[in-house]
Amino acid sequence: MHESAIDRTAARFRPILGLSLVPLSVAYAVLVMNAPLDRVQGIIQKILYVHPAMAFAAYLGFLITAVAGALYLWRGEEQYDRLALAAAQVGVLFCTLNIITGPIWGKGTWGRWWSWDPRLTVTMLLWFVYIATLLVRSFTEDPARGARFAAVYGILGAPVMVLNYFVIELFRGRAIHPENLEQGSLGDGMGWPFLVGAVVAILGSLYLIACRIEVESLRAIWLQRRREAPDGGECT
Amino acid sequence: MNTFAAVLWKDLVTEWRTRDRAVAMLVFSLLTVLVLRFSHPMGALANTDEIAPGLLWVAYTFSSVIGLNRAFATELENDALSGLALAPSDRGWIFAGKALANLLILSGVQFATAVFFGLLFDIDFTPVAGRLALVAGLGAVGLSSVGTLFAAIAVRTRYREVMLPLLLLPLLIPILLSAVRATAVLLESGVLPDGPIRTLLVIDAVFAILSFITFEYVLDE
Amino acid sequence: MSSDSLAIFARGIEKRFGHVAALRGIDLELPFGRSLGILGPNGAGKSTLVRILAGLSRPTAGQLRIAGEEKDRRRVRGRVGLLSHATLLYPALSARENLRFTARLYGVEDAQSRIDTLLEELALTAAADRRVDTLSRGMAQRVAIARALLHQPPLLLLDEPFTGLDVRSAEELEVRIRAVRDAGRSVVLVSHDIERICACADRVLVISQGRVVHTSENAALDPAQLRAVYDRAAEASA
Repeated sequence: MHESAIDRTAARFRPILGLSLVPLSVAYAVLVMNAPLDRVQGIIQKILYVHPAMAFAAYLGFLITAVAGALYLWRGEEQYDRLALAAAQVGVLFCTLNIITGPIWGKGTWGRWWSWDPRLTVTMLLWFVYIATLLVRSFTEDPARGARFAAVYGILGAPVMVLNYFVIELFRGRAIHPENLEQGSLGDGMGWPFLVGAVVAILGSLYLIACRIEVESLRAIWLQRRREAPDGGECT
Repeated sequence: MNTFAAVLWKDLVTEWRTRDRAVAMLVFSLLTVLVLRFSHPMGALANTDEIAPGLLWVAYTFSSVIGLNRAFATELENDALSGLALAPSDRGWIFAGKALANLLILSGVQFATAVFFGLLFDIDFTPVAGRLALVAGLGAVGLSSVGTLFAAIAVRTRYREVMLPLLLLPLLIPILLSAVRATAVLLESGVLPDGPIRTLLVIDAVFAILSFITFEYVLDE
Repeated sequence: MSSDSLAIFARGIEKRFGHVAALRGIDLELPFGRSLGILGPNGAGKSTLVRILAGLSRPTAGQLRIAGEEKDRRRVRGRVGLLSHATLLYPALSARENLRFTARLYGVEDAQSRIDTLLEELALTAAADRRVDTLSRGMAQRVAIARALLHQPPLLLLDEPFTGLDVRSAEELEVRIRAVRDAGRSVVLVSHDIERICACADRVLVISQGRVVHTSENAALDPAQLRAVYDRAAEASA
């Protein structure tokens, strides 16, 4: 009963993801070390290979949270909730890392820790929304109800994140954040470490999500065994 | 639709008899204006026009949080919320009734706050009163729709009064941004700006539709 | 018997609240025109079961059909009248206003006369226009009974309906329960009061720790024997 499709997929792909992350991480480290040193910014510019990658993983995590939450409400199967919870927890981790690495870079390049640039603002709001989904879950006594509340919140949060971006963009005074990739802001020799960094962050977050799902499904199995124990299985 | 009208009528009659929610919101809103007034050094008041739109919306937002927290607290007495959840209609209509009641109460508070605000900060809102009401109303629609949905969630968590702003405020930023911008342009030039009004309309629609659909699951046990 | 002619058809109903199992597989069948009593110590899962039957709470597992309706949860809710521990009434509204509100929620036809009839039958006419928060516990409970009966539901769920009622009102409620049953509708009655359950129910279940531990059919309803089963269940769950 607890061995549903998502749990099986997580269990199957976790070792593959974990194994592929080993050589990729090594390659990533070598590429970053060998990447050309920025003439103006110096060593601090190498955060470029870490910081946006964390953001990709954070956005992906929230997308998964929202979609899995919607599926949970629609189908009512616990496996979707396990996915939503795992993606939210891993997402909040990457979002936090992104928010920590950003200001370090900002201080080094712009001379200040924070700017109210659209992308920064949206990422900070995303962090608050993530925190709220996790809080509403833990502040609700019945876990199934907490899961539904978190799902509803995720469903409202996702479009707001997109809207937010456009609204802030619409009214912004000036943006100092580097522009999108297709506008070619990456210099020679920066493409590969950037790309591999993004791949490592995304695979890494998927790996952690898979681990988290396994923990949750093991917990569900354990709880079921306890409930079915001959003594009535009351947990105290 | 029957459910919608019944819930709206019930909420407004209850509010009219007790008046506790509107009074609490109003007093809180006026106090917020007062606190904001004193959070600025006397000398800085030369640029009131610049900060007024933002201050006004801060007062609206915080007083709506106070009111929304009460909106479902009344349903907990005698477990009336279960009585509502038992209604054999689409629960979205329960949401719509409660959200509209909240919207009407909030609008009244917004009006009184604006009058008080205008007197304290010496701003004459009368030439733009109708257009300002439109902007305030558009902002209030978004506030009351997600606010009603999240109040129904918050009321059934621990620390309910704390939970509501934690859920609500991060999602209100696009509404606040557009509403403050629209208010500022309006006060400055007397013209309604297209962009912010259009974004407010889009956000209101998205919030209202999603809240209507998901309310069903919020009332479930 | 086809499950469509049953007021309740439940198979393997489970309800978990996290790591706590409130119901561990309840099977239940109740034909129309019968009344079912449910006994059980505190925490046995009685109220959880009633809330699931009412459509308020979703079971974690199991199959449930109410008056032939399974999929459409709205129609399930419309076929049930619930009287729970709480009165479900709004204190700032009068008794009549509360009933009028309920009538609109359920789309009751000819609500005005239906409300008047119920108010009269429950001896509430004099108090009809008083706010509920000024009524005594017993009167508020009678308004709550009127609320549950208003839309003439095929299935009436009563969770501890005798609390707060004086002896005479309790006896009248007993008569009313039997009348509802005799009119071809069904009643589920949850109570601690073994005597009253035996007086109103055709069949009695004893629930303990989320399971049915005993069933008595109408012919063999014996308060003393039920008391013994109940005491054993209470002891086991203590």
